[in-house]
Amino acid sequence: MSDSDLRKETILAAANNLRWEVGDNLHDTLMESIYENATSIANKVVEYPDKKQAFSLDRTLDKVLTSRYLGFPIMFMILAVVFWITIVGANYPSVFISSILVDSLHPMLKNFTNSFMPWWLSGLLIDGAYLAMAWVVSVMLPPMAIFFPVYTLLEDFGYLPRVAFNMDPLYKKVGAHGRQALTMAMGFGCNAAGVVATRVIDSPRERLIAIITNNFSLCNGRWPTQILIATIFIGAAAPAYLAGIASAAAVVFVAVLGITFSLIVSWGLSKTLLKGEASAFSLELPPYRPPRLLQTLYTSLIDRTIFVLWRAVVFALPAGMVIWLIANVTIEGNSLANHFINWANPAAFIFGLNGVIILAYIIAIPANEIVIPTVLMLTVANLGLNNLGSGSGVMFELDSVADTAQILHAGGWTLLTGINLMLFSLLHNPCSTTIYTIYKETKSVKWTVISTFLPIILGLTVTFFVTQLWRIFS
Amino acid sequence: MNEPIILLIIGIIIILILVFLFYPGKGIIARVKRSKNASKKILIEDALKYLYNCEYNQVVCSLNGVAGNLSISADDATDIISKLESLGLVDAKKNELVLTPDGRSYALRIIRVHRLWEKYLADETSISENEWHKKAEEIEHMLTPEQANLLAAQIGNPVFDPHGDPIPSENGELPIKKGKLLTEMQPGEFANIIHIEDEPYAIYSQIIAEGLYPGMQIRMIAVSDKRIKFVANGEECVLSPLIAKNITVGIKKLEKKISENYKTLSSLKVGEQGTILGIAKSLRGQQRRRLMDLGIVPGTKIEAELESVTGDPVAYRVRGTTVALRKQQADRIYLEG
Amino acid sequence: MNSLELNNCANCPVHNMGNLKKLGIDMSSFDFVVALAGNPNTGKSTVFNYLTGLRQHTGNWPGKTVTRAEGGFEYNSKRFKLVDLPGTYSLLSTSTDEEVARDFILFGQPDVTVIVADATRLERNLNLVLQILEITNRAVLCLNLMDEARRNGIKVEDRTLSKELGIPVVVASARQGEGMAELINMIFEVASGKYICKPYRIKSNSSELNDAIEKLSKEIEKEFPGLPNLRWVALRLLEGDQSIIDAIRSGNLGNLKKQELVGIENA
Repeated sequence: MSDSDLRKETILAAANNLRWEVGDNLHDTLMESIYENATSIANKVVEYPDKKQAFSLDRTLDKVLTSRYLGFPIMFMILAVVFWITIVGANYPSVFISSILVDSLHPMLKNFTNSFMPWWLSGLLIDGAYLAMAWVVSVMLPPMAIFFPVYTLLEDFGYLPRVAFNMDPLYKKVGAHGRQALTMAMGFGCNAAGVVATRVIDSPRERLIAIITNNFSLCNGRWPTQILIATIFIGAAAPAYLAGIASAAAVVFVAVLGITFSLIVSWGLSKTLLKGEASAFSLELPPYRPPRLLQTLYTSLIDRTIFVLWRAVVFALPAGMVIWLIANVTIEGNSLANHFINWANPAAFIFGLNGVIILAYIIAIPANEIVIPTVLMLTVANLGLNNLGSGSGVMFELDSVADTAQILHAGGWTLLTGINLMLFSLLHNPCSTTIYTIYKETKSVKWTVISTFLPIILGLTVTFFVTQLWRIFS
Repeated sequence: MNEPIILLIIGIIIILILVFLFYPGKGIIARVKRSKNASKKILIEDALKYLYNCEYNQVVCSLNGVAGNLSISADDATDIISKLESLGLVDAKKNELVLTPDGRSYALRIIRVHRLWEKYLADETSISENEWHKKAEEIEHMLTPEQANLLAAQIGNPVFDPHGDPIPSENGELPIKKGKLLTEMQPGEFANIIHIEDEPYAIYSQIIAEGLYPGMQIRMIAVSDKRIKFVANGEECVLSPLIAKNITVGIKKLEKKISENYKTLSSLKVGEQGTILGIAKSLRGQQRRRLMDLGIVPGTKIEAELESVTGDPVAYRVRGTTVALRKQQADRIYLEG
Repeated sequence: MNSLELNNCANCPVHNMGNLKKLGIDMSSFDFVVALAGNPNTGKSTVFNYLTGLRQHTGNWPGKTVTRAEGGFEYNSKRFKLVDLPGTYSLLSTSTDEEVARDFILFGQPDVTVIVADATRLERNLNLVLQILEITNRAVLCLNLMDEARRNGIKVEDRTLSKELGIPVVVASARQGEGMAELINMIFEVASGKYICKPYRIKSNSSELNDAIEKLSKEIEKEFPGLPNLRWVALRLLEGDQSIIDAIRSGNLGNLKKQELVGIENA
């Protein structure tokens, strides 16, 4: 060791000795000193109003939003209104965009490329990649363009911390952190964003719980699946005049079920793998700030929406090609997709699902958004229905929900299949972006694997029991 | 028609089997894990630790002491000691067992891991206080020195464990023992608890149950052979000398007047105001730092502002900001009475 | 676009706005590094967006900005690189975000550290301000959210505050763009050495703490003479900060002083 190294070690040893001498209170003493200084400066320069009336608007609002009787009802109302605006508002632009991208542009592109490309190349590019992208844009863009700005307005206003404040007892009971409510709320937009948001949780144990359970917030990529399936199966099961309300209620039910599962799983983790009691919770409730409408619309539309959409498109392009390939490459007269579906069908039956759904969820690992188009395409290909849609290996959007229903019924789908798909859509592995984000945030293969497989196991368990009970009682 | 019923039964059976296998603490896996623990390496390390403790507390250590402490037979203890001797870790002189320098640094390494782990559990996790020692007893035999250093760096290289014991440094240094036993105090003296012995467990849990913790300020009232009476955080506390012997205190020069009248922050009703007196030591680590970061330090005015839907947490106004705290924390923040 | 240095009204906001060229993420070369620190939810991101022309999302809940963002702007034909640090209440804890912020201000040695503080809760924010002033002696305080302070009838004497802290204080409400021109100008003044800061240093009544810091400072000074933030280093060592321990072992700590001098020469 050189002299200099020795001197350095002397410094460190001196520090250690001083720390032993001073004892455990150093940090406390220091903080007290800093705040004494801060107070004396603040006293010189800040002048507060004589009366507290200035805060009355914030206070009154807080009194209402956190009141014993109105707090939760208002919260659910706001949640329901946000979803309602999204569901209702997204429908029309969705139809419009798909009629342009799919109905008009697709045949044009197809004709154009067919003129100079071999059939398989134009099939791969146009029927595979392009259509996958077109479908994702038409299904994803409208709800996102509505959901994100509305959500951002709530966020900017300062409502989310109040939600965490109200929900805290629930999280405390299951051994989780109150701010998990905040990260769950972010997860409703995008699970990857929700996982990153868990950085606001200090305790590593509770942060892991929040990361693992974030997937139980239905993310943006899964809303369309829920809405469509609920409309086809739940809405249809109800009397016509109640169809809309019944399907909306079903979606809200699944979302609430997700929150319930996140609480149950948090509780389970607190008792087993991540043992411990709820630790501290300190959350600053910021003052309400009037959101600036135009700016919010602009930033959330440009930054968030386009960002998430871009990601979806990037994943949809290769996925579309994969779908086209497995539906068109044949072995012994049967496509790869058919081989898999027929092979997976018996096992899937036990869980009230089918081979098509299983395959769709494997293909859709990169992005949940493409589950429904994949399901439809594979069903058509599997049944050899050529009078509907665009034929083998082509992903498409059908003009009406009725057509979709017709295909699914032809594929042997029942109300049970629909319910199980909704449940499985809630409880399955996170998309690949989220998995990668979890790995980046936890830097642990173990926790990434757990967060990936725990929801699948849970999903299969739930669908299994629902299926058996359904079959026994029907 | 019967198939779903069979499947349902199979499903339930599988779940029951899994529960049976993996149930934490009571399942088969947990049992198997535990039975593996009684290996020889662990006995050797525990013996070293015991010998070191004797040395630190300046008591003579015998073979019987080792046997008693590790709850093994005298024969087994002889076995362990001869093993330690052959490894060059212990010198056996007549009735006295003395650590060699190698033995001492080995023991310190184990103690370092043990105390670091207790500190980690206390500060960073929410494992209950009763389990710290038990868990650290397991982990101390598993962590390498490098892992211990990483852990230390991550939690801010602590120098004291949550019981007030010094944590040996990387190079195996420890400060000289300070303070005196609670039983040695004079009536009228003020002191700080600097250490609570965590073994034997039965006595430790009694002390914890009294709400005593390192850093707490106490004032002695009466000392006798039968009982020790003192005031801690404004409440009178009576212990038998047998228990009080496990508490070490440092006599306090009176820098600040110790106030004995206090109430908890959670006792404030919405709209009421108070001045913060202190934060209980049982709020530790990151939790404690966060509270102080938010401006909750002695001398600060604080007002209960808002209850949440269920009445817990409560939002408090402090230094111009509104901060929500759970009742379990507010219970441990003291206000001037 | 540039060369407004000739302008005799260099402090006029109207003229200075013209000087500001928003560079977005382009930072191929720059003359000064500016760190942006502050409590969570004080409008730090808004200030960042305003200065750089970028659009980081800003939400109204603490802890929104979780990653370190970088951007740049140009003023008086000097190029500034702006680094948005995670919002923290303090720099004394072991959490990752505080580590990032603390290490950047200490080891990254920004030419200026802009501290964004919430005018409505200044006392709490001063905690962080005072800590930062222990580390660096080139800082500007941006007293943000003044519109809200006014709405609530809170008055802040910015001149007295500036005298107390020994650094420039700019009154602002970034959402409306108020005070941003002055802020840019003050950043320039401090970066170029026209404004010499005399930062406030924390005084403690605890003899125990003062003695420990003094003893350790002496030890450190033997090996690393002329360290600009000796007291802070000693303090962090007393709190067991691993990055300081590493910096002492590797000798990196000695570089802090040199770079400080280079910074002044630059200007």
